[in-house]
Amino acid sequence: MIAFGTFVAEEEAWRRYTEPGIGRAAEPDSAILAYASVTSLPRSLNIILDAAARHDDLEALVLMHPHTELTDPGLCARVRETLADPDVAVAGAAGARGGKGIAWWEGEVSAAPGTLHYEGYGGGGEFPGFGWAGPSAPLGEVDVVDGSLMVLSPWAVRTVRFDEALRVGYGFDTDFCRQVRAAGRKVVTADLRAIFHHSLELVEDLDLWIEGHQQVGRKWEDAALDEDGWRVRARRAEAEREAARAVAHGRRLAADARIDALERRLRETTATTSWRITEPLRRANAVRRRRNGS
Amino acid sequence: MIAFGCAITRPEVYARCAEPGIRRAAEPGSAVLARRSQGTLFENYNALLDEAAALPGLEALVLVHQDTEIVDEDFCDRVRAALADDTVGVVGSVGAVGVRSIAWWEGSVSLASFVHRFDEHGGGDLPSFSWTWDEAPPYARVGEVDTLDGFLLVLPPWTIERIRFDESLGTLHGYDLDFCLQVREAGRKAVTADLKAIHHHSLELVSAPEEWVQAHIRIAEKWDGRMPGIGTAAGDWEERARRAEAERDASGLEARARVLQMEARARELERAIAEARTSISWRVTAPLRRAARLREQSGRRGG
Repeated sequence: MIAFGTFVAEEEAWRRYTEPGIGRAAEPDSAILAYASVTSLPRSLNIILDAAARHDDLEALVLMHPHTELTDPGLCARVRETLADPDVAVAGAAGARGGKGIAWWEGEVSAAPGTLHYEGYGGGGEFPGFGWAGPSAPLGEVDVVDGSLMVLSPWAVRTVRFDEALRVGYGFDTDFCRQVRAAGRKVVTADLRAIFHHSLELVEDLDLWIEGHQQVGRKWEDAALDEDGWRVRARRAEAEREAARAVAHGRRLAADARIDALERRLRETTATTSWRITEPLRRANAVRRRRNGS
Repeated sequence: MIAFGCAITRPEVYARCAEPGIRRAAEPGSAVLARRSQGTLFENYNALLDEAAALPGLEALVLVHQDTEIVDEDFCDRVRAALADDTVGVVGSVGAVGVRSIAWWEGSVSLASFVHRFDEHGGGDLPSFSWTWDEAPPYARVGEVDTLDGFLLVLPPWTIERIRFDESLGTLHGYDLDFCLQVREAGRKAVTADLKAIHHHSLELVSAPEEWVQAHIRIAEKWDGRMPGIGTAAGDWEERARRAEAERDASGLEARARVLQMEARARELERAIAEARTSISWRVTAPLRRAARLREQSGRRGG
């Protein structure tokens, strides 16, 4: 039996995204494990793992962020195919090898086809699911997968837990994958398709994310560096941080310049006399469309 | 006599940017040292300093990047005013205090009298905060700073005789901070003055990040302990490493998010433009716009 698990922080997200997705992908005997979210994200996820572990016939647990909407009616077949290798303990829709800390997207990224759906910006829109992470590698074995959609084997469900000491929430997926790999099992990316509904901020609280990065780093680093070693590492990291900020600032300027150019073009279009004198015509058309319900 | 020096790797950029600015600013007797670049910027600037040191009657050497265009016609008067204080060892138009690394802009910038002119996306100007004094924020001021941006530097004879760019530091980045630190260590001041310039520059601010990172490290190692603030940060080395790694990756994530947001906004605008330009009202009024364009063209020809 393949179970589907999620924590519910807002009912609307459940109704709009998770529930219809599960309806699409689940099999008649699938267990639906939806629990109210609790104080910390790792604790919320562990409640789901504990519930799944009680199912003797468990084949896999599909663990989803509440804003993940499954789209593939053939998902269960793909899950079974992926877990046919008994060494595979975790599969994800996106992941990477060689990422830095919890920033897995800085590594060699592989990702299943999917969709990022956003709201705002004149009615919302869609991008390729993990296009922002720059996937370039084929699906396969990775170091870590993104936590918005994970498939866990029965071994993983019964043996590994999300680390509740990582209280800020960020990096829970990296940590889980590292535990799995430390136990000798594999983490892979697989063709798990979904729509990921989230804002274009990518991360809600950057300061907390930075804290999460350091927590996971401290937990897993086994580098025994002396003071000189840390000094070299700090110097490099500080230089890279400032280079990254300068690069990011340059990109912001370029983005602003592109937007300014488009805004100018739109203003030029709508500031023409012909556009202004035909305004009543457009208003009348809009009224007509509303009346016709189109 | 005030001399002007420039190290040139791209003559067409020099001809378009620095040369007209130097012509605007120079006085009849000014020497112009336009040096075809060979080797690193550090080496070229040192060669310019050697050349300038031999000039009789030298009051100052103005070093400009090939893409820096001086704007002030009374530039030389402004230079003389800034150098009237003989404790000044170097002058620039952009500077900051609280600087800890070659990323001087992470300090508190106190003067930025320049326009960043770019070609991308149809081109544009980004005036810096003290370009227009009437609109300048309260922290905008001329005076002593920790360091100056090297796109425009003015050196008095004292400095030209005694200080050189440190050629061991790399090929391009960080020469300005290191030079200012040398001047300050020798007991002279780095100061800003209201010297206005246009920096013709791409919107890409760091074109070779690894070279930049290496220069950052070398300069931090050189000056940590020698000059207060440089190369320092809170915490022990392990804490600094972990925090900087996290902040570095956070910055990368922010940049990725920014790209997504820009794409979304661009799509929204492109949609609005397309809707406007395919609307019936736009199409039926096309002859009006054609006529208006013709009128404009014939007006230009006639005028």
